[in-house]
Amino acid sequence: MAIESVCMALLQWSPALIAGFGQNILISLLAIGLGTVLGLLVGMLALSPWRLLRLPARLWVQVFRNAPWLVLIYFTTYVFPFEIHVGSAYIPFPDWVKVTIGLALPASANVAEILRGAVASIPGTQWEAARSLAFSRWQIAVSIIMPQCLKRMLAPWMNLYAVVTMGTALASLVGVHDVIDTAQIASNTVNLTGFTVLVYLSLLVLFFAYCYPISRLTQRLERRYAFY
Amino acid sequence: MNHWLEFFVHWASSLGLNYGFLLDAYPRSTLAQGALTTLWLCLLTIIGSLLTGLGLAALLTSGKRALAVPARVFIEVTRNTPTLVQLYCAFLVLNMLLNQAVGTANPLTPFAWVVIVISLHKGAFHAEALRAGIEAVPAVTLEAARSLAFSNRQLLWNVQLPLALRFALPSLINNLIDLVKMTAVASAIAVGDITYSAIMIWTQSDNVLELMILLLGFYGLLSFIVNCVGRYLEARLRMPGYGH
Amino acid sequence: MFERSPVTRLLPVMLGALISLAGTTAAHADATLDKIEQRHVLVVGVLLSGGPFGGIDPATQKPRGLNVDLAQELGRQLGAQVQLVPVLPANRVQFLQQGKVDLLIANMEWTPERGEILGSVPTPFYRVGGSAAVLKDSPIARWEDLKDQPVCTSQGSSYVKPLTEFGAQIKAFKSSSESLLALRGNNCVAAVHDATLINPLLADSAEWQGYRALTPELNPAPSVIWTRRGETDTQARLDPIVQELHRSGWLIEAQTRNHITPASPALVELQQKFQASGA
Repeated sequence: MAIESVCMALLQWSPALIAGFGQNILISLLAIGLGTVLGLLVGMLALSPWRLLRLPARLWVQVFRNAPWLVLIYFTTYVFPFEIHVGSAYIPFPDWVKVTIGLALPASANVAEILRGAVASIPGTQWEAARSLAFSRWQIAVSIIMPQCLKRMLAPWMNLYAVVTMGTALASLVGVHDVIDTAQIASNTVNLTGFTVLVYLSLLVLFFAYCYPISRLTQRLERRYAFY
Repeated sequence: MNHWLEFFVHWASSLGLNYGFLLDAYPRSTLAQGALTTLWLCLLTIIGSLLTGLGLAALLTSGKRALAVPARVFIEVTRNTPTLVQLYCAFLVLNMLLNQAVGTANPLTPFAWVVIVISLHKGAFHAEALRAGIEAVPAVTLEAARSLAFSNRQLLWNVQLPLALRFALPSLINNLIDLVKMTAVASAIAVGDITYSAIMIWTQSDNVLELMILLLGFYGLLSFIVNCVGRYLEARLRMPGYGH
Repeated sequence: MFERSPVTRLLPVMLGALISLAGTTAAHADATLDKIEQRHVLVVGVLLSGGPFGGIDPATQKPRGLNVDLAQELGRQLGAQVQLVPVLPANRVQFLQQGKVDLLIANMEWTPERGEILGSVPTPFYRVGGSAAVLKDSPIARWEDLKDQPVCTSQGSSYVKPLTEFGAQIKAFKSSSESLLALRGNNCVAAVHDATLINPLLADSAEWQGYRALTPELNPAPSVIWTRRGETDTQARLDPIVQELHRSGWLIEAQTRNHITPASPALVELQQKFQASGA
C-alpha cells in the first residue's frame, strides 16, 4: 500500500520531472554552443603570433579554468541585470540564460585548451612544409591544420559536453526551476520517505541515462583516433 | 595586518569596490573561518580521493572479474552523474535512512558527507588515470624485470607502480585542481566553507560583486598552489626517457 | 550595482567585456504603479518551495498555492497580466531591490529591519510566527534551550536573527526542503520555519509522528506584500484591495481552498475588523 502510493506519486510527478530535465538539457545545449564559439575564438587568439592578442586570451583561459563553476554561476546570476533596455523595448534576461552564460564561460576556456592541445599535436613540420609551398599562415591553419584538429577535438569536446550537462545541476542553487528544483518541490509536497528516496534516485538515473551514452561514444572515438 | 587591510580597502574603494565590510570583525571572522574550512576540506578530500583512487585502480587491474566489474560500475555511475545530486542523495537521503536505522547515534556530519562524496567522486577519476598509467607501463619493461628475478611483489612495488604513477601524474594533478574547485558545492548542504560564508554575508548586505572577486581570487590561489606542487613533483620524479 | 560602471572599465579586459553588459543598459523601473498602468504587467516574486503557500501542480507544472492565488487576484483587480517569478529566501530581497520583481508575496514577514530597506502594503494578508520541529523526546522545551545547538533553517529566513540572539548555531539551507531532511538526518536538533509549514506537517504526516512543535511561536509577525522602498503610490493602490479581500472573506476562502491548516485566527480577526469599519 505504501509502496503503491509512492509509485503513484512518482508517476504523477514524472511529467514535471521530465519537463525540468528538459530545462537542464536546453541549458546544456546552449551553453556548449556558446562556449564552443567563444572558446574557438579565444583559442585562435591564444595561438596568434601577436602578444597583444595572445595575452588577454591566455588570461581568459586561466581565469575561467581555475574558477569553480558554482562561483561563476553565482557571479552571472547576481551581477548581471535582470533585463536589458534596448530603445523602448525591455528584453528580459531570465535566470536560466544567466546560468547558461555562467556555464559557457568555463566551457569556452576548456574549448580553447582543447584547441591548443589539438594544434600542438600536429607535427610542426607540417607548418614548415606548407610554408615552403608558399601557403600563408591563415591558409595553413584553415586548410591543413584545422581539418586534422577537428577529428582530434571531437572526443574531448564531447567529454566536455557531458561535464557541462552535469554542471547544469548547479542551476537549482540559484533558483532556476530545473529538474532538481522540481524534485525538491515534489519531495516537500508529497512528504513520504519512500518518495523522497525514489525521487532523488530518479535524478541520478536521469543524468546517468543521458551522460553515459555520451561517455561511451567518447571512449569509442578516443580509441578510433588514438593512433593517427 | 590591520594596517594592510585598511590600505587594501582604501585602494579598492578607489576602483569603486566597497570592501569596507572586511574592517568589521564579524564578516571578517566568518570569511576567515570559511577559508579555513575550505582548506581542511581540500586537504582531507585530496588524501581521501587518492586512497579511493588507488583502491579502485587495484580492483580494476586485479584481473578478477568479481572485483573489476563492481569497481567499473561504480566508476561509471560516479563519473556520469552530477556531484551535487550525489551529495543530495548521500546527505539528504542516505543520511536520513541511516538515521532511521541506527537512531541518533549516527556520527556523520555534513562536513563528513562532503569529504566522503567528493573523495569517492574524484577517486573514480583518479582510478581511471592510474589504470591508464599501469597499462601504459611497457610489457617489455616488466619482462626485463622478471628476467632479473624480481618477485611479483617487487615487480609491482619497484617497477610497475613507480612508472604508472609517473605516467598518471599529469592527470592526477588536473583531477586535484578540479577537486579544489568542486569543494564549493559543500555550501549547498550548509557546510561553512568560504562559498557558504560569502553567501551568508551577501544575503544580508549588498556586496555581491566584491565577495565574488574575493572568492574567485581565493580559489584561483588554491588551484595555483596545487598546480605548482604538481609541477614540482613532476619535475622531481621525472625519469630520463619517460614522459616529456 | 548599476552605479558601479567605473569598476567595470577597470576590471581586466575579459571580465570587462562581460560586465559592461551589466553596467550599460540596465533598466530602471519607474514607480511600479506606472509600469502596471502603462505596460499592464505585474511581476510578482513568489516562493515555491512546496506546500500550501507555494508549490507546483505536478500535472500542469503550473505554480499553485496561496501566494500564487493572491498574486493572480491582485493582477485581475489591477487589470494587469501577472508574471510569476519563483524566488528563493536567499535572493528575494535582491530581486525586489534590483527591480527584477515588483512585488514579493513570498512568506516574508514584516520586521523592523526589512521595513528599513523595503516598503510594504500596510494591511497584512496573513500573520505567522516561527515554529521549530524537534524530536518528541528532545530535551528542548523553550526557545532558549537552542543555545549552542545546531539549528536548521533556510538562507535569508527572518528567524535567523532571533535564533542567533538565542545563541543557536545556524545551518542555513537553500530552502525548507533540505532543512527538514537535514533535521530527519539528525544534523540539527531543530528545524525552524513558518508555523504554517511546520504545524500541518506535524499534524498530518504519519512520518513526522516522532516530532513535536516548539511553542509559543517565535516572533509572530504579519505577512505583507513587499514593494520597493518609497513606492507609496503602489502601496496606496494595493491596500484597499487587500482590505477588501479580508472583508469579503476571499482570503479565508483561499486558505481553505489551499488546505492551510490550522486556519489562522488572525484572518478572522482581520475580517471582523474591516467588516466593522464598514464598506
